Amino acid sequence: MSSLILTIRESLRYRGRSGHVSWMAHRVSGIAILTFLVIHVWDTANAHFWPQAYAWSVAFFKYPLVAVGELVIMAAVLYHAFNGIRITILDFKPEWWMHQQRSATIVWAIFLVLFIPIAIYMFSGIVGHCSELAAHGSTCWQIPPFSDFAKYAN
Amino acid sequence: MAAATSSQKITVRKFQVHSNFERFAYLFMRMSGVGLLILAVGHMLIQHVLNSSANLTIEFVAAQWNSWGWKVYDILLLWLAIPHGINGLRNILEDYIHNPTTVKLINRLLALFVVATVIWATIGMALFDASKFQ
Repeated sequence: MSSLILTIRESLRYRGRSGHVSWMAHRVSGIAILTFLVIHVWDTANAHFWPQAYAWSVAFFKYPLVAVGELVIMAAVLYHAFNGIRITILDFKPEWWMHQQRSATIVWAIFLVLFIPIAIYMFSGIVGHCSELAAHGSTCWQIPPFSDFAKYAN
Repeated sequence: MAAATSSQKITVRKFQVHSNFERFAYLFMRMSGVGLLILAVGHMLIQHVLNSSANLTIEFVAAQWNSWGWKVYDILLLWLAIPHGINGLRNILEDYIHNPTTVKLINRLLALFVVATVIWATIGMALFDASKFQ
């Protein structure tokens, strides 16, 4: 545990430039994806085993803070995917290690070019969903009651 | 790793490593990574950009899982993503936990978790009856 705290502190202090930033971003995005993935997989299995819980959870996932979390996961998946391909290519092509700094920059560029328009699109979707509910006198800032989905009980 | 210099020439030594679990895990991370570039990024773009979580209901899922093509896509994604993610977590944990007994225990728990999750979710998807929600 103390080595973990030490690592977090030193990771932030260490001025390792692009390779170090990529290494940290790969780990942080990986943990973020895994956290949601595990919830998502067990939740999705409920579509068969406990439909009421699944129907409630997808309604709950529309809650604005969760929707912003969805945006974070989108960023994490895109970065982790492209950086992972970079790692794989360099692992099998040691002749290209002299280009590792440039490759890290290219990955960030591809990530930003894809993520920025997606983020704008998804964020406007969240705003649209909330304003539509507001127009009907409702609000998106409300966690749906579990009993609303009683018709799915098995 | 010692080759990072300003020199344009680097020496690459290739040698055969005996096959063991760590080598298999190393290769699996890279192979599944290529698969996940298609499946996981595809999943994010299809389900969260082309479709939207704002319209997501169990009926929408049933409409997709009415076809075996989508079921197979999602089951394949599950089989690659869970072992890839848990093995990644194992790699991170082993950087910070040095007690061999603890490492062994964590490895067993994570392996059990992978098997349980993959089996449970595969059964859930395979047996999901779309006609109940249409």
